[in-house]
Amino acid sequence: MQNAPAPSRFPQWFDPRKRHPGNWAFILNRITALGLTLYLFLHLFMLGKLAQGPEAYNTFIALAKTPIVKGGELLVIAAGLIHGLNGIRIAMTSFGIGVTIQRQLFWGFMALAAVGIGIFGYVMFILD
Amino acid sequence: MKTQENAWLWLYKIIAGLLIVVLLGIHFIVNHLAAPGGLLTYADVIRYYQVPGIALMEIVFLVFVISHSLVGLRSILLDLHPSTSIIRAANWAFILIGSAAIAYGVWLVIVIQSKG
Repeated sequence: MQNAPAPSRFPQWFDPRKRHPGNWAFILNRITALGLTLYLFLHLFMLGKLAQGPEAYNTFIALAKTPIVKGGELLVIAAGLIHGLNGIRIAMTSFGIGVTIQRQLFWGFMALAAVGIGIFGYVMFILD
Repeated sequence: MKTQENAWLWLYKIIAGLLIVVLLGIHFIVNHLAAPGGLLTYADVIRYYQVPGIALMEIVFLVFVISHSLVGLRSILLDLHPSTSIIRAANWAFILIGSAAIAYGVWLVIVIQSKG
């Protein structure tokens, strides 16, 4: 149960020492999960503006072009890529696929996430 | 009551997660390619929801995302080894929040579609 932090060991959650890739995978999965859940509910709330008519929605959506919101969107994309790709690894190993190479799978998928984040960042902030 | 995740719930989370990867890809591509620069105006969104099958796809996506996220939040809670009474209360809270979010999302899709 080394991957399951007990409340009494709460301060240790933030101790980066002596962590294995499995720990990092677990921590990244949990942190991105919390961020994405928060985003999901904000996204649903924001889409509620559609029910209020064109003016309410278009005024609100104009915010999407501000750098702060774009930065937040890139964070969401980063969290989505990390969580999604890490999730594919978890699904694979859960069904017995690539169990012996899951360390390599983790780093491979995270490298892929880093490339994806870079591409999205470039398109959103440089090209746009 | 056991404070461990039920195996079926765990399996559901994995399968829903994989489906979300596929549906999110479609949701993302369609949302961003349906109009130049993405669906950024009210008129674009209303037009998008008139395409047959879109409303159903978005509702299916919504159900999987909401359920996956709440089952996942429950897993995080279970990692903290809560008491039976806390997990029992949390179960009801997750069911209520999930049902309310899905009902709200379906209502919103119907409202948006009816404006076209």
